[in-house]
Amino acid sequence: MRREIYRSQVGNDGTSGMLRIIKEIAFSEDPRDFGYMADNVPCQHACPAGTNIPGYIRCITQNRYGRSYELNRIYNILPATLGRICSRPCEAACRHGEDDLGESVNICQLKRAAADLKPAMHRIKEDLYAPSGKSVAVIGSGPAGIGAAHDLAVYGHNVTLYENMPEAGGMLRYGIPAFRLPRDVLDLEIGNVLRLGVTLETGVLVGHDILLKDLQNKYDAVITTVGCMEPNRLGVEGDELDGVISGLDYMVRTNLGQPVPTGKQVIVVGDGFTAMDCARTSLRLGAESVRINVRATEEYMPVDAHEVHEVKVEGARIYSLVTTHRIHGSNGKVEGIEFLRTRLEDTPDGNGRIAVPIENSAFIMEADTIISAIGQHPKMNLGQALTMNGQRIGVRPGRFLTSEDRLYAAGDCVTGATNVISALAAGRNVAHEVDELFAGRRRKSLVVRFEPAEQTDREREYDFIKPVPMPTLPVEERFEQADNEVENGYSDAEAKKESLRCYLCSLKYEIDVSRCIYCSMCIDVAPRDCIKMISSVAERPDGSYGEYGETGKWNEVVAIAIDNKRCIRCGQCYDVCPMNCITITKTELVEVDREE
Amino acid sequence: MPKDDHYVIIGNGPAGNCAADTLRKEDPEAKITIISDEKPLYYYKHRVPLYAMGGCEPDDLAIRPYRGYGEKQIRLRLGQRVEKVVPPEKLLYLKHMEKVHYTKLILAVGASARRLPNHAAFAEHLQCLAGFDDAKRVREKLLASSRIVILGGDLISMGFAREARKAGKEVVFILYSSLFWPVSLKEEIRQSVTKRLTSLGVEVVSDAEPVTDVQPAEGGYTVTLPDNSELSADLVFSFFGSVPNIRFLVGSGINTEKGVLVDDLMRTNQEDVYACGDCAQIYNPEFKDYWISVGWGNAEAQGEITAMNLLGREKVIDYQPKEIFEMDGVTIRTSWWKSFS
Repeated sequence: MRREIYRSQVGNDGTSGMLRIIKEIAFSEDPRDFGYMADNVPCQHACPAGTNIPGYIRCITQNRYGRSYELNRIYNILPATLGRICSRPCEAACRHGEDDLGESVNICQLKRAAADLKPAMHRIKEDLYAPSGKSVAVIGSGPAGIGAAHDLAVYGHNVTLYENMPEAGGMLRYGIPAFRLPRDVLDLEIGNVLRLGVTLETGVLVGHDILLKDLQNKYDAVITTVGCMEPNRLGVEGDELDGVISGLDYMVRTNLGQPVPTGKQVIVVGDGFTAMDCARTSLRLGAESVRINVRATEEYMPVDAHEVHEVKVEGARIYSLVTTHRIHGSNGKVEGIEFLRTRLEDTPDGNGRIAVPIENSAFIMEADTIISAIGQHPKMNLGQALTMNGQRIGVRPGRFLTSEDRLYAAGDCVTGATNVISALAAGRNVAHEVDELFAGRRRKSLVVRFEPAEQTDREREYDFIKPVPMPTLPVEERFEQADNEVENGYSDAEAKKESLRCYLCSLKYEIDVSRCIYCSMCIDVAPRDCIKMISSVAERPDGSYGEYGETGKWNEVVAIAIDNKRCIRCGQCYDVCPMNCITITKTELVEVDREE
Repeated sequence: MPKDDHYVIIGNGPAGNCAADTLRKEDPEAKITIISDEKPLYYYKHRVPLYAMGGCEPDDLAIRPYRGYGEKQIRLRLGQRVEKVVPPEKLLYLKHMEKVHYTKLILAVGASARRLPNHAAFAEHLQCLAGFDDAKRVREKLLASSRIVILGGDLISMGFAREARKAGKEVVFILYSSLFWPVSLKEEIRQSVTKRLTSLGVEVVSDAEPVTDVQPAEGGYTVTLPDNSELSADLVFSFFGSVPNIRFLVGSGINTEKGVLVDDLMRTNQEDVYACGDCAQIYNPEFKDYWISVGWGNAEAQGEITAMNLLGREKVIDYQPKEIFEMDGVTIRTSWWKSFS
């Protein structure tokens, strides 16, 4: 048994292994190491763009805001934008938020801090490839389109972005209110993409002003990232009445500066970010009572707790367990909405909930404006038929290629409405696939980088720092001008304090079992059950390591091992070890050029 | 029932105690444990304002001494917070990392003070009086104070204002008509509440909701009203009713809305998990809405019926459609879950 574990320390290529001690910088493509990164740096794994979160947070601690911003841009080219409006899947995965460990790090707000506090005249870095002479048309300049355009431009291709609206940005500009995302911030970051030589054609509707077929003839490849711009309708009696508007239309018209009739009594139907944005916007446009109605309960709303809190602070109220039954009105104008109460039932897998209407539970809420924000789907008006997957554009499994040669699709028009960071990541990934078409090979790939570290970089007291709240504008000042940004951003001191809360999960702690004397001092000082006496290690089908087989019997112990999934990187074991046999390795997923 | 059953009740209020007593009566063999994060013994909640004002001592609040639990062989674990419930494993995780196994669980966790979202920016300067711990925290300062401001209100605030006047304090009551708990005040009732408070010598301000700021100043606090005028006070209290203490249940798989959602047998959606009292929320077909019953009588009755259901003796709750209740001299007509068949 002991021998087996020792053998597993060295990977097939000699660079990998759970218990291998890293003494110099090493790179690995071993699946076990990718598996390790997925398990042990949960924030980065949860980020659709794979952002190196511990890395950029560490830079903030070191007062290197510019470097932190650039580290973000390697994965996510819009850090100041996403630092304000990201749906934050990373924070849900953050180890600091696990049971008995407190609350997640405010990762998103630190991203914004990097953007806000970087030096003026900061240097943008782009590793440009030589011009290829190839040309690509990207339809839609939302997050997916911008992401694709950026990476294609970096690869050296000529990119033209076709945008139907007056300005670039898609849902970022027309779906999100300016009080959450100031337009100068968005302009600056989109500008950073356009200055790579990307041509932007605005006010052009593909399928109407120019045919998709013509684009396919003119360009070496075409990517559609048209998003989901067609709102789902309530589909109930009365949803055509004057005073009923979709959430998407409400936001687009507001963001275009067009007048949007907003009554005194507003009812929002829906539980997503658009519903919250509509509620908050209507309060700024003079609504006196804003009631958000959701089918299930707050627990199952797809928006984060910050957003729910802000909506309530501004005066909107959330009513759960209701579903729209019909809309009442007279003379063509809405007067109220009839809801049915719902009860929750388990989904077949038991993890989700379905809201089921209760019989004879109808009741009416008066309203003069009803905003239905119950999702959206792609608006397919490209002028030619594509193979669809339901309401979405169909692509080949695991790829971005549509049913037509050299025509690709990515983002929400493929996946259905998701979130900005997923769309951005999809845009970048489709760019890699299109580049592969031109280059005949992948020119970039990910590897795991290991570097020995000499110190823990953390103090135990950091674990007890409370989350630093985001400073916000007082409510009355928010309403003075509808575009006043609600969140003020962290100060330098606040950002540093919050950054210290990060466990730096990218640091890998290991015990060199060849030197360990099994004194168990590390186990005694560990703040949780992160150091284990083990007899075996499971291996997953992909070759990565699974759970440790623990034992309490000394005659079965083959190693004392640190379970990095439980470890909070407090450094107590490192400090106490009498044999100095605990090592720290900095791990990182890095993108490298492939020469061939 | 097998003798190794372990009935665990979270909450040491009227619902929890009534449930425990009923369980013991009906099942003399079972192991019964009450776990509560509060340290004091089961106490009279309505006497809390009196205690805060110096009108009685902690011993005067207690309903049942420790030995009362010993006699009934009910294990009482006070000052221990349940952090997590895992229904599939029938396990509770306590804050001090202990795991407790249950065969049947009753959630009788009650409610704590409701804080308004638009007071969030200055919430730390507002005092609440939802329970003994709140009162203990503020008692010394309150005894030394001469002028207090109350924002609210709710059922407790009226009694508190009365006790404060009796103790010779100057009281300003900023009345939040639209956010009054449990029912927003219609004009007629608002006038009635105002009259009652005024007769007690309370200064009522009724067109100043919500206040825009509360900040410390010269040993006390300054309250800023919407018209930018300011009031000074030694202490500022927030009384907006209560919200069920159910945050620890998020992610457990137990359905919650404002409270724990239960059916008319007080069952949650998870097997062998029940809820009752101020934390339980039940669909009321007459009002076509989910309701949380408040008040001592409801809690006791629900505790009893929950225990009976847990033992397999199905008792369906019934409700009283309309109820008039007196709130410190003011009559409010509303509806509660009240009696059971």
